[in-house]
Amino acid sequence: MKRLGPLHTLAGGAVLAVGLGVLSMQTAPAADNAAASSDAPAAKATTSVAPEPTASASAATEAADPTPKRADYAGVAQGNGGLVALSIKNGKAIAYFCDGRIESWLKGTAENNTVTLSGKGSLITAALGDGKAQGRLQVGKAKWRFSAPLVKKPSGLYRASAIVRGAKVTGGWIILPGGRQVGLMDIDERQYPAPKLTPGSPVNVDGTELRPEDTDAFIDDL
Amino acid sequence: MTIPQPQQQQAVPKQNSAPYLMPLLVGGLVAVALGVYGRAHTPTGYAVGLSGFTGAQAMKSWLATGTFVLAIVQVVSALAMYGKLPGVQAPSWTGTLHRWSGRVAFLLSVPVAFHCLYALGAQFDVPRVLIHSLLGTFFYGVFVAKMLSLPKKGLPGWTLPLLGGLAFTTLTGLWLTSSFWFFTTFGITF
Repeated sequence: MKRLGPLHTLAGGAVLAVGLGVLSMQTAPAADNAAASSDAPAAKATTSVAPEPTASASAATEAADPTPKRADYAGVAQGNGGLVALSIKNGKAIAYFCDGRIESWLKGTAENNTVTLSGKGSLITAALGDGKAQGRLQVGKAKWRFSAPLVKKPSGLYRASAIVRGAKVTGGWIILPGGRQVGLMDIDERQYPAPKLTPGSPVNVDGTELRPEDTDAFIDDL
Repeated sequence: MTIPQPQQQQAVPKQNSAPYLMPLLVGGLVAVALGVYGRAHTPTGYAVGLSGFTGAQAMKSWLATGTFVLAIVQVVSALAMYGKLPGVQAPSWTGTLHRWSGRVAFLLSVPVAFHCLYALGAQFDVPRVLIHSLLGTFFYGVFVAKMLSLPKKGLPGWTLPLLGGLAFTTLTGLWLTSSFWFFTTFGITF
């Protein structure tokens, strides 16, 4: 009459949960995708800021902060082919990286012609000057250099966010002056290919119209 | 997972009811602890799961659907044991079926709940997620209370049906706010 009782059931579930926890902790750092970010890289952002700016800020040494009040940059991540867009407004900086598969939204500050931004597991440091932003980009464990010239509408960064049938939907697009573009839809933490964006026109997601906005519309909210 | 014992309904002597409240108390503590954990820790965005699915959401949706189907088996077998199915005489293996389908259902649900709590945490920003978070913590509280009540003798006859019914109702809500939502939003994908 030795049969498994309800306490065994509970114990089995608890053991299973603990096992999953141990496995998750062991395997988590190995996953190098942007979504699988722990807080570690973001925390590092604040500490690794200091050494970077020195070389870049040398171009401008006036007393007043030479950082542009408002500027948009977009370019290619070297060695990855993904696009990077960076926008600055009154000392605030936002950026978006996307290669059609991985994406990351970042925000940070612009000061003394240097920008430092961090996002979920991602980090950007760049120097502004000569009509472009040049710097480094880190997403998960991967690192690339990038050089992004100043761009004007309709090129640059676009973002759409909405709740579609209870799902949080965020779309990001970068359009380069040559017309090249990349984008990604994020629906409740999962990534889907974004429809092609024609600036000014809505895009259709699952029957709902989204209206992607340019940087001016959302830089203050991000 | 009920051991059929509805025939023990003869006068239960009035006595200290504290032992019968213990399962409820522990269940409540479990629910609160899960909720606090889900809210307090920083979601990792990642947790191990079964491979072979397109993503964590698909994996969870299917595991939860498996749990839900087995939960229906639970209700039907419980009704049979309590003689509530007209014209059905519960076969002798009904109790075993009930115990093991419940056990498998519970174990299938653990990786799902683990991913929810560990990778995502309890979140309240949209109604679906809010309801799902609250029901999820409540479900395991009820489940623990039910498991701890099973070996107790002399409980009121409605204890197990009530706890079981609550567990099933909660699970239905959980399934609707997760798997059903997933399948209707993204289609039936693996």
